Amino acid sequence: MVNFAGMEFIFYFFPVFLLIYYLVPVKYKDVVLLLGSYFFYASGDLKFVPLLLLLTLCNYFMGQQIRKLSEGYKMHDWQKIERKRKLAFIVSLDVTVLLIFKMLAVFVDSTLFPLGLSFYLFKMISFQIDYYRGEIPEKTSFLSVAVYFSMFPQVISGPIMRYNEGTEPQNRIYRLSQLEDGMKYFAAGLGMKVLLADRLAILWNDLQMIGFQSISTPLAWLGAAGYSLQLYFDFWGYSLMASGILVCLGFDFIENFHHPYASGSIGEFYRRWHMTLGRFFKDYVYIPLGGSRCRKNRMIFNLAVVWLITGLWHGNGLNYLLWGAVLGLLIILEKVFYGEKLKKLPVLRNLYVLVLIPLTWVIFAITDLHQLGVYFGRLFPVFGGAGVAVNTGDFLKYAETYGKLFLAGGLLCVPGVFDFLEKHRKNPVVIVLLLLIFWYSVYFVAGSGENPFLYFQF
Amino acid sequence: MKHLKESPFFFLLLLSGILFTILAAAGKNSIYKDQQYHPEKGPLLSILFAAMNEDVYPWQLFSEGQVAETESSKVNPAESDQDGQSTDGTSDTTKNTEEGDPASDSDDAAGNSTVSGNSAGNDSSAGNGQPTVSGNNAAMETGSGTGGNVLQEEPPYGENRPEPLRSSTEEEYLNHISADIYGDAGVKKAAEYPFVTVDESYFDDALFIGDSRTVGLHDYTDLSEHADFLCKTSLTIYKVLEENFKGMGTAEEVLKKKQYGKIYIMVGINELGRGTTEDFMEKYTEVVDTLHEWNPDARIIIQGIMKVSKKKDTEDKVFNNSNITGRNHAIATLADNYHIFYIDMNEAVCDEEGNLNAEYTHDQIHLLGMYNDLWKDFLMTKGISG
Repeated sequence: MVNFAGMEFIFYFFPVFLLIYYLVPVKYKDVVLLLGSYFFYASGDLKFVPLLLLLTLCNYFMGQQIRKLSEGYKMHDWQKIERKRKLAFIVSLDVTVLLIFKMLAVFVDSTLFPLGLSFYLFKMISFQIDYYRGEIPEKTSFLSVAVYFSMFPQVISGPIMRYNEGTEPQNRIYRLSQLEDGMKYFAAGLGMKVLLADRLAILWNDLQMIGFQSISTPLAWLGAAGYSLQLYFDFWGYSLMASGILVCLGFDFIENFHHPYASGSIGEFYRRWHMTLGRFFKDYVYIPLGGSRCRKNRMIFNLAVVWLITGLWHGNGLNYLLWGAVLGLLIILEKVFYGEKLKKLPVLRNLYVLVLIPLTWVIFAITDLHQLGVYFGRLFPVFGGAGVAVNTGDFLKYAETYGKLFLAGGLLCVPGVFDFLEKHRKNPVVIVLLLLIFWYSVYFVAGSGENPFLYFQF
Repeated sequence: MKHLKESPFFFLLLLSGILFTILAAAGKNSIYKDQQYHPEKGPLLSILFAAMNEDVYPWQLFSEGQVAETESSKVNPAESDQDGQSTDGTSDTTKNTEEGDPASDSDDAAGNSTVSGNSAGNDSSAGNGQPTVSGNNAAMETGSGTGGNVLQEEPPYGENRPEPLRSSTEEEYLNHISADIYGDAGVKKAAEYPFVTVDESYFDDALFIGDSRTVGLHDYTDLSEHADFLCKTSLTIYKVLEENFKGMGTAEEVLKKKQYGKIYIMVGINELGRGTTEDFMEKYTEVVDTLHEWNPDARIIIQGIMKVSKKKDTEDKVFNNSNITGRNHAIATLADNYHIFYIDMNEAVCDEEGNLNAEYTHDQIHLLGMYNDLWKDFLMTKGISG
């Protein structure tokens, strides 16, 4: 049920929740949202509900302590020190919990990693720092903090919304137009996930099935491009669904992707990709370390730290570290050497991104370092990546099969296309298109409900 | 009306959802009666969409529910099993068909005696003392030349097919268990045939029919340079006769245009979750009989469904090896070792426990590209000499 693109969520949980949410008076809406969110979370990972609750209590309690110390006309030095100590304590506690469960997942059993932990803990850290910095002006109630940490549209994979981006129940908008917009975002996101990402996933699945040693070089590049699109539409689609749900609930839309593949540098790419995570690292790690307003060596160090943490955060394999390191290196090179020159090369800078980013996604995708080597050998056969039993006609075969998906996906990567549809979302043609996308997605979801392998037919 | 204007998408979603629910409810006992509905997994309208995967569409509601009623009781060749064992004699004697060379019939039972091509026996060019069959025609000639001596009369096609030992139970049906209702008698009988080692030219008049596994054989071995292929990912026995294969046409078109010497078929993994062993067997029999009708001189070589790896086997309630075995045991009984043969490539790719060797697969279901050669090599040891 925790899957937004599943029948249970679309047809049971969400409509029922929405109905109750709209029927209860404003002052109870957050209670409904909290209960609904815990029910949602429990249906996905019952055994870790107590952990979520415990962390919520700890963070709320410490947040209040820190706040209390800042009350009054003027803060004394001891108060300032005490606040800092308390903040350091709670943030380290949150980070430690994350690290412990990461360790457990790596060394004991991957099922020991609580659902959504890396996302809701980041919201907790964000809350503490914002609270400390006074960016959350008013006193917070336990209910609204608990809702912020656990709200079901975000608890599993973000977006990592800031506390003050959420609105109090009395300030949310409860109108049909809100439902209208929210459902449109949801349908668009569902289509991206089900009709594009899940279908492109079959290509990547096919490459693994064939074995990387047996794919031709053109197919290896097609695979890298396909995986890049798959990941994008999977996550952008998810984020659109999550934000669409939020809009239905009366919140503002949270943007998490802003046409990253149209970027002119790797640095820019990551300001447009998973924006709420990038913002988190920027605001809470990079800038506190000194950001770029410091000596060059220090800046390089800061970037390296941020990207190593980013790599670690994304997964538990060495390949994620390598992925973070490569991105960090590219971004450092851009900052120090050729970033300015790149800006003056309109088409080349786009090509630079469009070639390098898929290569970094290949590192992201392949957890087995030996297999990763094999894949790069196929991408660059000049470096001695001889294939075994390669079928030289494979590129044409797969290009033909997946061509339409590449075309549709490629079009959606062009900023103007999505923006145009978004701008004209009240146009009947767009409405009918979204309706078709929604039900066509449901057709795929319903068909695979009984047998998930209808996706991956043999 | 004002609301409708303000949020047309929302209302259209609601309305279409209601409409689909009504259609699903209306067809629940007619066009959708074969759809299993699990209310806990989704709303009623999901059967409408699930049914589309089986080519049942809502508008058929209005053309009266006469769909899907036509197929049963068409092909049921096994009249009685009273003398079901009598064909054993035939397969015994086929051991001796080759070349009249006394040496060859004292070969071990593994059936690796080989046939020399054009002129029986005196071709030693193939080296290491093991002459191999060269070319399909040669094989045919040898067969017909000697068949008269040793072989009995050509057994009539499609007779004496064994009946199942029991029926699948309701519980097995509901749990997608493909019961082993035939036992291994068919497999044993099929293994009695003395297959011979052949070279690649043997496949020059062969046709391969299959699902994605056969696609792998096509794409990652050089068999496609010799044989024709009618293969498509997600092919099932239910679709073999209807499918329009890209670049080839339907099976009927292909088989009516060209007479093949051998037709290899391997399907059955995709439809493991569909129906019972009986259902599968009924359709399989129909397909094999139809292929035979279109290409009466071709040998039909039924290939047992390739197994899945141990990981898949233990984790999956549907795609597991006991279900595969249940179905393989059924289709093996079609083999009469004269028109129809049964071979099982699992012996070439499975580990000691009988699961697909984990090293040969990534997705637990398909051979990695490079290991399709194991399958091809296996096929080259299963030539039919007569």
